Amino acid sequence: MSAFIQYTLQGLAAGGFYAVSALGLAVIFGVLGVVNFSHGAVYMLGAVLAAVLLAELNVNFWLALVIVPIIMFGFGVLMERALVRWLLQLDPLYNFLLTFGLTLVLVEAVKQRYGVSGLPYQIPPGLGGQVTVGSVGLPTYAIFACLFSVVVCVAVGLLLTRTRIGMIVRAATEAPERTRALGINVGRWVTPVFGFGIALAGLAGVLAAPSRAITAEMGSNFVIILFAVVVIGGLGSILGAVVAGFLVGLVEAYGVAYAPAYAQIVIFIMMALVILVRPAGLFGREEIA
Amino acid sequence: MSGRKKVTGAVAMAASASLALAACGGGTGGPQTGGESKLSNDKVIIGLLNDQSGVYKDLSGPNSAVAIQMAIDDYKAKYGNDAVAKTIEIVQADHQNKPDVANTKAQEMYDRQNADIILDVPTSSAALAVATQAKAKKKLFIDIGAATTALTGASCNKYTFHWAYDTYMLAHGTGAATVKNGGKTWSIVYPDYAFGQDMNKSFTTAVEGAGGKIVQSIPTPFPNDNFSTFITKAAADNPDVVGIMAAGGDLINFVKQYNQAGMQDKATLAVGLMFITDIHSLGVEQFSGTQFTDAWYWNFDDENRKWADRFTEKTKTRPSFAHAGNYSAALQYLEAVQAAGTDAADAVVAKLEGKKVNDVFLRNGEIRAADHRVLHDSYLAKVKTKDQVKEDWDYQEILTTIPAAEAFGPVSDACKM
Amino acid sequence: MTDQQLTARTDVDLAQPSILSRRSPWRYVLLLAGLAVLVLLPYQIYPPVAMDILCWGLFAISIDLLLGFTGLLSFGHAAFWGGSAYATGIIAIKTGVPFPLAVLGGAVFAMVIAVPIGYLSVRRTGIYFAMVTLAFAQMLFFIVNQWRSLTGGENGLQNIPKNFFGVEAVETDSFYFYYAGAGVILVGILIAWRVVNSPFGRVLTAIRDNPARARALGYDVERYKIVAFVISAGLAGLAGGVFSISHSFASLQEVGWTTSGKVVLITVLGGIGTLWGGLVGAGVVVYLEDYLASAGISGIAMITGAIFVLIVLLFRHGIWGTARNLVREQVIERRNRPHR
Repeated sequence: MSAFIQYTLQGLAAGGFYAVSALGLAVIFGVLGVVNFSHGAVYMLGAVLAAVLLAELNVNFWLALVIVPIIMFGFGVLMERALVRWLLQLDPLYNFLLTFGLTLVLVEAVKQRYGVSGLPYQIPPGLGGQVTVGSVGLPTYAIFACLFSVVVCVAVGLLLTRTRIGMIVRAATEAPERTRALGINVGRWVTPVFGFGIALAGLAGVLAAPSRAITAEMGSNFVIILFAVVVIGGLGSILGAVVAGFLVGLVEAYGVAYAPAYAQIVIFIMMALVILVRPAGLFGREEIA
Repeated sequence: MSGRKKVTGAVAMAASASLALAACGGGTGGPQTGGESKLSNDKVIIGLLNDQSGVYKDLSGPNSAVAIQMAIDDYKAKYGNDAVAKTIEIVQADHQNKPDVANTKAQEMYDRQNADIILDVPTSSAALAVATQAKAKKKLFIDIGAATTALTGASCNKYTFHWAYDTYMLAHGTGAATVKNGGKTWSIVYPDYAFGQDMNKSFTTAVEGAGGKIVQSIPTPFPNDNFSTFITKAAADNPDVVGIMAAGGDLINFVKQYNQAGMQDKATLAVGLMFITDIHSLGVEQFSGTQFTDAWYWNFDDENRKWADRFTEKTKTRPSFAHAGNYSAALQYLEAVQAAGTDAADAVVAKLEGKKVNDVFLRNGEIRAADHRVLHDSYLAKVKTKDQVKEDWDYQEILTTIPAAEAFGPVSDACKM
Repeated sequence: MTDQQLTARTDVDLAQPSILSRRSPWRYVLLLAGLAVLVLLPYQIYPPVAMDILCWGLFAISIDLLLGFTGLLSFGHAAFWGGSAYATGIIAIKTGVPFPLAVLGGAVFAMVIAVPIGYLSVRRTGIYFAMVTLAFAQMLFFIVNQWRSLTGGENGLQNIPKNFFGVEAVETDSFYFYYAGAGVILVGILIAWRVVNSPFGRVLTAIRDNPARARALGYDVERYKIVAFVISAGLAGLAGGVFSISHSFASLQEVGWTTSGKVVLITVLGGIGTLWGGLVGAGVVVYLEDYLASAGISGIAMITGAIFVLIVLLFRHGIWGTARNLVREQVIERRNRPHR
């Protein structure tokens, strides 16, 4: 039983990284209609930035949690202004490919600059070791990561439900035509929203840095799982992305614990099933065929 | 619709013409032969094929070319005007740890660049591909970087040599020695693919052979970055030793999470395959106390240190076993060319087989003729604690030397040269 | 956002009937020029690389058949290229038949697995279709990886023989093998060309442009899509089979998603909806990668990635597409010029 609790916690912690990143991906898709293939690379950049800032400028983990997303926001704005916006009127295919090409560039650039053996990053002091609850020992950092992700998701949720911009984002995501018909200028929010989505991925990267190997390729498989998450949750549904993120993290953890040979495939079977049975995803709108 | 028919006809004709052209065959072409000179193309071309951009870039990578050049310089210094190989060139390629790329690059090196020998090739799947090419092209291949015993087993061939280490050496070094030091009960965590399964089997044999007991063997997906559930599993039943068979980035992930889970104090961590570059990348504190088997350590004795200083002068970093291994292989190859008087593959192979070698890398070395496995002393190392580290890269404390005769396995039945 | 956008034409000229009339001599000039390049390629380029260009070219053509002509972006076509690569290899190793037969076997395998995959996938369109195909490709990757005894797993399928009716030159020299392989690839290209220039092809473009109208006209849209999907899979399988024979090797890379991504990019580079663009795109990408690798330049992926970004931004119609548009403008201008 204690093992099960540990698996659950670890699944939720991993799910947290997925949830926060998927939130960014969903928001970007919702408002811009862009399927951002480079989301994994951005996650990787967040982790790399955290490591580099620590090594070069002694920026500790807590500061990095604030600074890195801000830098990544700027990066996202740059990406949108310079590259993505030119293709927004076209088929989503083009931005998909654009971000795919961008991923290749980013990953290789990191490889060239920092090598591939990985950058060191220690767990911040205070979050190491274990917390013993009864007979179960739970890694402290996993608990922190899980809680922090939940806090971020709740905060973003509040932002979306309690603020005007949040309302616009939700409206643009869920009913784009009606929103424009009401005269709301969605266009001017496109750039900041994109930046925000990127910043979220960067934040997930910083969260992951102490517990994962920071390598140039760390985002490559991550982004494929992210796609599965967003599809399962429902492309364009913000709540769906979060719930699916944690769900996939759990499924992965259980799969890996009880049937490791099949762990990798369960997520994709889930994704295929969702698409076939309920293509809008668990929380998504109905698709207009 | 005659236009369309015409086009169809033309394409069909072209297709059949192609096939007919191919079927006719004949004509000149194919690899050029040596001719008058004793050396093919009048020179010796050494090919270095390894990972120049990926996880093993620092372990071996382009710096191995520096090591090979050192061997060339030493060879020329030794023989001067009597050197058989007056012109020696190095060609390099990056196989990115992919067997398909290694396959293509090896073929290119042998055919397009006229390499007489290929060195290094880490990553077992890539090594097996290159061994196949070596056999097909009838040119030499000395593997330094890969672990698989299949190179001297089912995939052995006349032109392939396995120079540095293999899974047997790792298992019997780390496994047996750790058991002797008190680590009786083991939980093994291994990535579920060819290499991991191989290591799991080897370690199980070695540990049980030394009187230990495998409590659990836990497979993990490969690649994988979240090991928390597996660490939990491994910690159950409180083993003396947790053996981890992952390598590269996965190993680093594992160790991070292992320490996070507070396991450093609960069990000894034995690592199946580890390199000095892993310690450097994760930081010595995370690995302190870990035991592993190393083929060569730069700070082991004065002879190694002297060579390492030469290397460091040129590259600004300390050498790994792979750099030293490439140096040794290149040097011994050139010596064999010298002894044979030619770079023709068969003659050189004859000079290498059965030879006893003692150089900076191979101590008490012997190139076993039956399967081309190179035997040599290996070392059980323990990672130092931060206070014990006196200079850069001074990470290892050598606990014991495993003599050549014990370090490697017997000739495999699967090898039919 | 709906996914109508993928099927609606927001650019002017995806696959329109050629501006050159059927009897125009220029068609034959182009055709002969293309054949000349094909025949002379291994003299200029290292033959195994030339073979790769043809294989990737046919692979891209198979993608274009779906994307440019049917409006479906498959992001999992590596399942067919790679699946056939393995199937061909296994057939070649176990039976020793001449390689064109083994390749045919591989292509048939690809088509067989394409039937259930296509049947399930075409129920969705646009980005969903892309995701489903990606999921199925990952599943095949998994199966290939796990079924180690058959496929070699991580090590790949090694030592695939090149049998060609006992003709030693073809079997041992990559220069002659190129011509044998090119013959097989040409058959694939011919099939693609015939499919596109046929009533069936016309229905596909109708479905691409307006599926609702096609359905209203009585066409079973799903059935057409599945057939197109299976044909495309067969062509990808043909290309993948020749590829694995050429390298004597099939690896997990061939069934991986990076391969699926690379071929889509090659198709875009060549020009979506142009069919021949795939060959041009493959020529550029494969040659460039080889050139850069031989020149010892590290970080090749940065260069190819940057080129892709530029192509998508500035030359969306791809090389062939842009060239064709220029020619088209010229021809139309000349036609519209008032006669004296």
